[in-house]
Amino acid sequence: MTALRRQERLSVYDFARATVETQLRIPFFQSLVQAGFPSPAENYVERVCDLNDLCISNAEATYFVRVASDSMIGDRIDRDDVLVVDCSREPVDGKIVVVWLNGDHVVKRIHYAGELIVLMSSNPKYDPIYVHPGDDFRVFGVVTFVIQKPV
Amino acid sequence: MIGLVDANNFYVSCQRSFDPRLNGKAVVVLSNNDGCVVARSNEAKALGIKMGVPFFQLEELRQQHDLTVFSSNYTLYGDMSARLIALLGRFVEEVEVYSIDEAFLNLSGYEQLYPNLTELAQTIRSTSNQWLRIPVSVGLAPTKTLAKVANWYAKREPGHNGVFMLDTKAAIDDALQTFDVADLWGIGWRYAGMLKRNGIRTAAQFAALPDDWINAKLTVNGLRLAYELRGTPCKLLELEHQPKQTICTAPSFGKLIPDLATITEALTTHVGRAAEKLRKQESAAGALSIFLHTNRFRKTPGNGLPAKQYADSRTVILPHATSSTPELVRYAQAALQAIYAFGYEYQKVGVILSGLVPAGHQQQALFSDAPDQRLASLSKVVDKINHRHGRDKVRLADAGYNPEWHHKRQWISPNYTTRWREILSVR
Repeated sequence: MTALRRQERLSVYDFARATVETQLRIPFFQSLVQAGFPSPAENYVERVCDLNDLCISNAEATYFVRVASDSMIGDRIDRDDVLVVDCSREPVDGKIVVVWLNGDHVVKRIHYAGELIVLMSSNPKYDPIYVHPGDDFRVFGVVTFVIQKPV
Repeated sequence: MIGLVDANNFYVSCQRSFDPRLNGKAVVVLSNNDGCVVARSNEAKALGIKMGVPFFQLEELRQQHDLTVFSSNYTLYGDMSARLIALLGRFVEEVEVYSIDEAFLNLSGYEQLYPNLTELAQTIRSTSNQWLRIPVSVGLAPTKTLAKVANWYAKREPGHNGVFMLDTKAAIDDALQTFDVADLWGIGWRYAGMLKRNGIRTAAQFAALPDDWINAKLTVNGLRLAYELRGTPCKLLELEHQPKQTICTAPSFGKLIPDLATITEALTTHVGRAAEKLRKQESAAGALSIFLHTNRFRKTPGNGLPAKQYADSRTVILPHATSSTPELVRYAQAALQAIYAFGYEYQKVGVILSGLVPAGHQQQALFSDAPDQRLASLSKVVDKINHRHGRDKVRLADAGYNPEWHHKRQWISPNYTTRWREILSVR
């Protein structure tokens, strides 16, 4: 009986020993283990919610970028917001994408009209951009999340 | 079959990955302390810039041509390298990380999944291009050494589109006929010279040599190389990460330093770094060496005569293996005081930790102190804090506040993937 109790105690210590390297967050138990009565919650331990799981599906291909203009304000993307950009996603018609165009990285909504690529802002102050053959253009990635601090 | 994936001009490609303006331009990356060239774009190679050229020799070229220079940003390159390796792991189970920009893939057993290996290699190339914007070349062959040869051709002959496979005897013979023996993996310049004096110029000639001769002249390692060239695998993939046997930290000072106080600050920081690496691989050090030297090439300003030189080192065998920063620093500082000589302009102080043992396996000695477990725990806590809040947030006061000895990084690029304040900006 004593031996069994010691084992139960040890398992609680093991839970608390989360290492920093893996960034695996593990809930820490506040409840003290009473002799003979292990915490009733012990069998229900789960990993705490990690924002990375929600926002990042493909870590190798994901980059964060910061918004430096109000051109996408209609899509509630504002200056200083951080975008989660996944470069493994296909930039299909209607997606918000980050592209390299003639010397700048820009965030726009992409549309395909036949051969033509149109980059739309969602702020009436900005005109649509038509990508011409010969432009220095390439898609960086697709915006999958917007991280914003409410004002 | 073995695949060798090698990123083209990796450091330059990492810079280009976040700044496409650099595409098509001559770009070089400098070594630590902005000393000499360690990576060149193809355009920079075309300007005749050689590997290892000291930076000051490029001044004229920089004025005449559009040459972009970067200090090395190992934080960025390390992250991109990790992404590349993870990407390769999506395709193949067994990946050997050979260096920051090279990895071997074990492709045997994938015949069903990837009937056409050249196609697989092209998919790897296009995936790296889309996810990382890093161009890679792939060599495919029955052995690691032949995969290296195949990669050489994949990289240099544009017709192959970045992928080259040596799968038939005829293709292998053909490739080795024109392959310089000096470019073979594991043949250093000494062996290359010796082989050339004996009339052996190509890899094919080398592979055809009698085993006895190779064994006598180049030891068993040379023999392994010959077998590999003949298509018999002798080098297996090393998948387990080997813990390091020694840990060395010794970046040069950004400028020459004469005084003990500043050198002590630098040494304290270096020991802190080395101890951090030690704890990361779960080891403890049994010995510690300190070395200190002046710049061998320096001329005295004014008269141009060689400057007076000093170099010394001291090794301390520790009473017990330890990984605690304060403890290691105490011995390091004592050793430094023992070798420091007044009146010289120093270029570098460094620390080497050796006699590494797994942190848990420490021998108790009868007449010396056991390691203080509290110190080891303290250092681990400090590591955690620094991991979360940034490097050197918590450090020994001896490391100083004014790191004037830090190395020069005049043309450092942003850390696009590791610092929130430096991420890419979009309009």
